Amino acid sequence: MKDYLPIFVLLVLGFLFAALSLVASKLLAPRRRPTSAKIAPYECGIVPDREQPQRFPVRFYLVAMIFIIFDIEIVFLYPWAVIFRQLQTFGLVEVLVFAGVVFVSFLYLVSNGALDWGPAKRLRPAAPQRTARTTITRVPGGPSAGSGHEAA
Amino acid sequence: MNLLPSLAGMAAAVTGHLALPHIDYLSILPIMIMLGGAVAIIGWSSLLRRPLDVTWVTSLTVLTATAALTMSLFQWYSVLHSGAHTHIDGAVVMDGFSVLVSVLVTCATFVSAVVGDSWLRREDVRGPEYHVLMLVSASGAMTMGVANDLIVVFLGLEILSIALYVLAAFNPRRAESGEAALKYFVLGAFSSAVFVYGIALVYGATGTSNLPQIADFLARNVALHDGLLLAGLALLLVGFGFKIAAVPFHLWTPDVYQGSPTPVTGFMAAVAKAGGFAALLRVFVSSFHLLRADWQPPVWVLACITLVLGAVVALLQQDIKRMLAYSSINHAGFILLGLQAATARGVEASLYYLFVYSFMVIGTFGVISVVAGRGDRDHGLETYRGLASRQPWLAGALVVLLLAQAGVPFTTGFVAKLEVVTAAVHGGSTALAVVAMVTAAIAAFFYLRVGVLMYTPAQNGTGEDGDMAAALGGAAPSSDDPVLVGVGEAGSITVGALGSAPPVPAGAAFGIALCVVVTVVFGIWPQPLTAFAHHATLVLAP
Repeated sequence: MKDYLPIFVLLVLGFLFAALSLVASKLLAPRRRPTSAKIAPYECGIVPDREQPQRFPVRFYLVAMIFIIFDIEIVFLYPWAVIFRQLQTFGLVEVLVFAGVVFVSFLYLVSNGALDWGPAKRLRPAAPQRTARTTITRVPGGPSAGSGHEAA
Repeated sequence: MNLLPSLAGMAAAVTGHLALPHIDYLSILPIMIMLGGAVAIIGWSSLLRRPLDVTWVTSLTVLTATAALTMSLFQWYSVLHSGAHTHIDGAVVMDGFSVLVSVLVTCATFVSAVVGDSWLRREDVRGPEYHVLMLVSASGAMTMGVANDLIVVFLGLEILSIALYVLAAFNPRRAESGEAALKYFVLGAFSSAVFVYGIALVYGATGTSNLPQIADFLARNVALHDGLLLAGLALLLVGFGFKIAAVPFHLWTPDVYQGSPTPVTGFMAAVAKAGGFAALLRVFVSSFHLLRADWQPPVWVLACITLVLGAVVALLQQDIKRMLAYSSINHAGFILLGLQAATARGVEASLYYLFVYSFMVIGTFGVISVVAGRGDRDHGLETYRGLASRQPWLAGALVVLLLAQAGVPFTTGFVAKLEVVTAAVHGGSTALAVVAMVTAAIAAFFYLRVGVLMYTPAQNGTGEDGDMAAALGGAAPSSDDPVLVGVGEAGSITVGALGSAPPVPAGAAFGIALCVVVTVVFGIWPQPLTAFAHHATLVLAP
């Protein structure tokens, strides 16, 4: 049971820290209620006068994914590099297979246009193209019902 | 103080010679084929200027699943002739149980691939991602089947789940799909955390995460204070409970089943359940068999409320996918009967149930996917009114599959229910067996309701072709979806083709037909499958 004492101490310290932080912020925080300027997204700068546009390019996430792929590769390469002599040929083959799999995921990202900067040209449409036929619903019984149009 | 020896051990390992475990590749060959196929498909598709055509992707997926199935049968041959073994330093095991799970998952992938092919074409989704994710997910379920170590179980669980989270979000045109994926992801991650905590506590109590070594430890030692071990066991049960959708850990199931693309729902119901139950049965029945006096009562309660709630709440559903989600909860209760019995017979019955249920459920969701029409929207029960006159073959297949789920004789569902109930009675839980049979009777009502609805003529349907569109338009508004896309389509096609129903796409027709054939043939002639399940014993037999 003695071995669990540090864990228990850490638990108590954790609770204490949370409780003290809450109490301290209650005691030390200014008493005034937040004004509308205070709760604006940016306290200084130009006041936004319209809603944000709803669509924005997700190119950044693709870059982040490329980063994560190579990050993970390094995480596994490093321990292998430390003891690669003892792992012998087997370790080398395993790491090559692993690197191959990681490289395929990189290829996939590139083929999806992760490295195509500038206006999107080769980006693969994930969904069907948005056209009037795909976004407008024809209600049966309306003027066009039964004329043979596909309503989807 | 305790750290010092282990540090010294690590230093010795770094400076000294490392003993590499011997790897028998046959034991993991099906998993390697599934993963290799997935990597090859996505790699090839990435190298092309345009994404690989759906026909190619489906063919390659079917080929991969068939190759993995063949290798599983080689494994079966090896197990029959040279017995069950553990491999790779005890991390994986090749026994009849793991082979059966492998066969189940590869078959389910095969059928889901052809059913999904039709869905992808209809929704005009290009690219290999759907099939690749399905192969990866299936390899996770197979890993759970061969796992002989709690860490390997967890590894398989994560491979299975992460691919499924993405698959649940695969329909970008439906907001429900994204919602389903987010719910599944948050609850799945939460349950994984609970599961890992359970592993940590079990490791703390027994000093090992290897399943046979845990059994060995429990056989040699009598714990005076077994609170830590029981807490770990409880957390493991909760973690598995989420995956197999046992009440009260089922809350994600209706929303996720409803929101996911329909073929994915079928795959999820078959493969995720199979993987979860495979690991659950192996861990509880073989490793913690000596503690069964401790875990049988909670599993009894879980099975009981899972059976009752699944059957009763399904009665109230107006959406067929939600109804089948609750029905799958009811089925999970039946499979838990086999676990609760904690005997070799119980394991056998549960495995058989899982095997035949996966065919039934993939076929059922295949039919629903076809009926839902373009956009995958029409899931209201009223959509099924008069289906038999529009698409008699489809309606007939759905009736057979639903009757099998209800457990009608001459289908595999009957044999499966009979086996688990018998196992429960032999295991001494007669009360639970009675509850199970009562819920089976309740469940029969909502399966039959769909069947009757399909053979009821559509309202106002006078049989004249011109009225058909109006009749359909009048029948469907009860599916409280204001966007009546599929109705308009069905109506216009009926008008255009003078009453002939739209043809069922070839892939879906093949998949559904396969499921129906398996369900009926092995229902009339159950001997091969029951024998297969009978030989699929765990390496540590209870």
